[in-house]
Amino acid sequence: MTGPLPDPGAPLPHYVSDAPFDPNVIENRVIGRTDLAQASQKKLMWWKFKRHRLALISGVFLAICYVAIVFAEFLAPYGLQTRNVENIYAPPQAVHLFHDGSFVGPFVYGRTMELDMENLRRVYTDRTDLVQPLRFFCHGDSYRFWGMVEGSLHLVCPPENGNFNLLGTDRLGRDVLSRILYGARISLTIGILGVATSFVLGIVIGGLAGYYGGWVDLVVQRMIEVLQSIPSIPLWLALAAIMPVTWSPLVVYAGITVILGLLDWTGLARAVRSKLLSLREEDYVLAAQILGASSPRVIGRHLIPGFMSHLIASATLTIPGMILGETALSFLGLGLRPPITSWGILLTEARSVNVIALYPWLLAPVVPVVLVILAFNFLGDGLRDAADPMR
Amino acid sequence: MMRSVTITRRNLMLGTAALGLALGPVRAQAGLPLVPHRTDLAALGHRPGKPGGTVRMLIGSARDVRLIPIISYARLVGYDDQLTLAPDILESCTVEEERIFTLRLREGHRWSDGSELTSEDFRYCWEDVWLNKELHPSGPVVELLHDGNLPRFEVLDRLTVRFAWGGPKPDFLPALAAASPVRMLLPAAYMRQFHARYQDPAKLDELIRKNRVKDWVSLHQRLSRQTRPENPDLPTLEAWMPRTAPPAEQFVFERNPYFHRIDENGVQLPYLDRIVLNVSSADIIPAKTGAGESDLQFLGLDFSDYTFIKGAEKRFPIRVSLWKRIQGSRMSLLPNLNCNDPVWRGLFRDARVRRALSVAINRREINMAVFYGLAAESADTVLPESPLYKPEYATAWAAWNVARANRLLDEAGLEARDADGFRLLPDGRMAQIVVETAGESTLETDVLELVADHWRQIGISLLTRATQRDLFRARGMSGDVMVAVWQGMDNGVPTPDMSPAALAPTSDDQMQWPLWGLYYLDKGAKGEAPDLPEVQELVALYTAWRQSTSTAQRRDIWQRMLEIHADQVFSIGIVNGALQPVVSARALQNVPQAGLFGYEPQSYLGVYRPDTFWYDPEAAS
Repeated sequence: MTGPLPDPGAPLPHYVSDAPFDPNVIENRVIGRTDLAQASQKKLMWWKFKRHRLALISGVFLAICYVAIVFAEFLAPYGLQTRNVENIYAPPQAVHLFHDGSFVGPFVYGRTMELDMENLRRVYTDRTDLVQPLRFFCHGDSYRFWGMVEGSLHLVCPPENGNFNLLGTDRLGRDVLSRILYGARISLTIGILGVATSFVLGIVIGGLAGYYGGWVDLVVQRMIEVLQSIPSIPLWLALAAIMPVTWSPLVVYAGITVILGLLDWTGLARAVRSKLLSLREEDYVLAAQILGASSPRVIGRHLIPGFMSHLIASATLTIPGMILGETALSFLGLGLRPPITSWGILLTEARSVNVIALYPWLLAPVVPVVLVILAFNFLGDGLRDAADPMR
Repeated sequence: MMRSVTITRRNLMLGTAALGLALGPVRAQAGLPLVPHRTDLAALGHRPGKPGGTVRMLIGSARDVRLIPIISYARLVGYDDQLTLAPDILESCTVEEERIFTLRLREGHRWSDGSELTSEDFRYCWEDVWLNKELHPSGPVVELLHDGNLPRFEVLDRLTVRFAWGGPKPDFLPALAAASPVRMLLPAAYMRQFHARYQDPAKLDELIRKNRVKDWVSLHQRLSRQTRPENPDLPTLEAWMPRTAPPAEQFVFERNPYFHRIDENGVQLPYLDRIVLNVSSADIIPAKTGAGESDLQFLGLDFSDYTFIKGAEKRFPIRVSLWKRIQGSRMSLLPNLNCNDPVWRGLFRDARVRRALSVAINRREINMAVFYGLAAESADTVLPESPLYKPEYATAWAAWNVARANRLLDEAGLEARDADGFRLLPDGRMAQIVVETAGESTLETDVLELVADHWRQIGISLLTRATQRDLFRARGMSGDVMVAVWQGMDNGVPTPDMSPAALAPTSDDQMQWPLWGLYYLDKGAKGEAPDLPEVQELVALYTAWRQSTSTAQRRDIWQRMLEIHADQVFSIGIVNGALQPVVSARALQNVPQAGLFGYEPQSYLGVYRPDTFWYDPEAAS
């Protein structure tokens, strides 16, 4: 390589190697896996997520829950408001398979109710001679599927002339399991809808603040600080109290969702803003601007996708907060109102000492609340880890 | 359970004066009047006991210290457990022409601070308090007026006073015997220091500053409060005197050493040395009671707590009994005849609508579901224990009949229905009734849920709204409430001599006609005059009762008023005679195991005489 330079204008001496060339040689040498090296961002996340066992299980559990609430009418053995005054405060019934040593299939024993006038209790005793097989895919309480289609098909129905209360009944003889299933529809969707509201608000407001900076940023920042300094529960209470009683329960439901969303967007807006502040200095943004893209387009098409995965993870982590918020509001009697039934409403009805001492099965709605909250937290955790490119 | 009761006013003259004579010359005991009120415990079914001991009770808020003067039940004249009126603090009380009342105090009777109780205390209360233009700008309460006119007040001697009205005052003695009685006596010797007429202005200013009030009127009012004993320095005549000033978490009441009652052995009552009230959240009173933290409890307990407390009987030395509540209805629906919505106001004033709403309710189902079938399905009226009871009052418009309800509503012009089967109002809106509750018990919301189902069958939609008690009252007054939920008649066991004020618009807290009640209460200055003929008749009948001179006359008036109520269904009763758990320590003697439970006239336990309750250590096990 020493020697003088060629004369000006003369061609440089060079040659083209004809040895085989592998463009992935470095990746192969470092990791030994081509698929990994060439995987898209989404694929990488999915692989990472899969390794988080708990998150995966939580995700499956939540998916099942959300599928179940779509078909709540079909899955619940009874209707939401079906009362049976002959069957008040009935304890949970066990499902049996064998009777007298022979296989019968799923069945419950019939029960008789006696009034214990000494202690004023309803005493239920199983009658082991009365085998009542459960019916499947049968016609029971009629309902309007999603409030639109008339139907009466249920996955499982109580036996003829009998009752089937897997989780017992409450003080008006309503089936607790059915009410939990119907309540899930409200409690689970309120989190999603609330997060959707706060997502839209957070991205729009935070996006404007981060992209434009300057006084827009200043105003938004101060607004967020003021909102975050107000204690959330009293503010919910105040907003919930102004909803008139004559509003139909469905509108109240929408109102509660909006209230929860209206107060929750601030954290998200901050995250969006700080990300945008750094991303807007990137060359590709400048390129887009020079090409004449409008601000919404630059934000929506070029900036947001850059950290969408992160946003989804943080949104997942706020859903449990929403569900708890709804539960707390309803528990205090200021959220949803009967006849709409949510887990919070079910728990409100179970807060007296009598329930704990005598009818503990009415506390059953606590279990799904805890499970769903945990599942969302694990799922969000897994998503966040997966979306984080540093690890 | 209770014998029918009639009060003959002439009996009152005898009272304990005769009793004192029968005992012969009584040796004046220290702390006792010369002629004490001698309680015949055997007649009450009680047995004489030994002094001493402390009773713990739980209250839901510091304001509930008012419970003690209610259950202590020392009154000028008071009811016994058969609801017969007899002199109590008074040695005798004579009534002439139903309008001249001569009240005589007991010789040697002292306030709890040891100062003498004399006619000066009557005079102070009447002339310096009721007639003082600053303390009472609108004059004395209606119970002390006849037709708006004041009585003639005379001090006859050191112990005797006389009130003479221009006409009959049948409500005077019942007002003295009430759970929250009309104030007639104030400890003049103590109260004078707070009165502008007696205290020198500089000293008074100092007291006003010290007590952090704005003027002497509020100073006097605050320190003279007898129904809510918050001033430990105020001398009292009740069995126990307050020893704690609020704010506090625990209120101690100690036995009054000058109490005027003795048992048959001459032992001064009350037996119990001390009552300790612990403030706790109303929600956990049942739990604490079930954990043996109360020796005498009825406040804060509901029928639904019975099962839990009954279970606790095995673990703690307590026992629980069920008393019968005396309300005309455990819970009643009151359509607001003064409601703002002109369409609903018109409908509620139509008797057919009220009747339809009543017969649409399946009371049997509610009774079985909520009360174990132990209550009585009834309209809002008097109980069988009352001498005024007639079965037809209880059954009027109370039998479940959906077809009849539908027919009545059709007749009232609500034939049109929407696609879901709900009726339409004449202006095209859906027939939707918002029922408001004070939000204090799940019982109300449970029953309303059942009623909502019943009403759906007649095409009426029911929504429940729970508010707070204060807000609930205010909304009722302003006409924002369409239908309110409240208890039925407070006193379901009246005698003809008790005031029928609850049956006529006489107070602004009557949620079925708050404006008409206000009109009466403010003597026509505020509110509206009733314009329904039936209600006008009720007002006329009530006025006639207040002018009446004989029990027979009063009985006729009561019967007519009850008839109007039964027929017009101003208040939609559901069940009455519901049960109330009363918990007491097993060692506590003389607590009846059954009784009538109510505020007026029983004063809760008052007529069953808590001053005779005592601890028998042998009975504890």
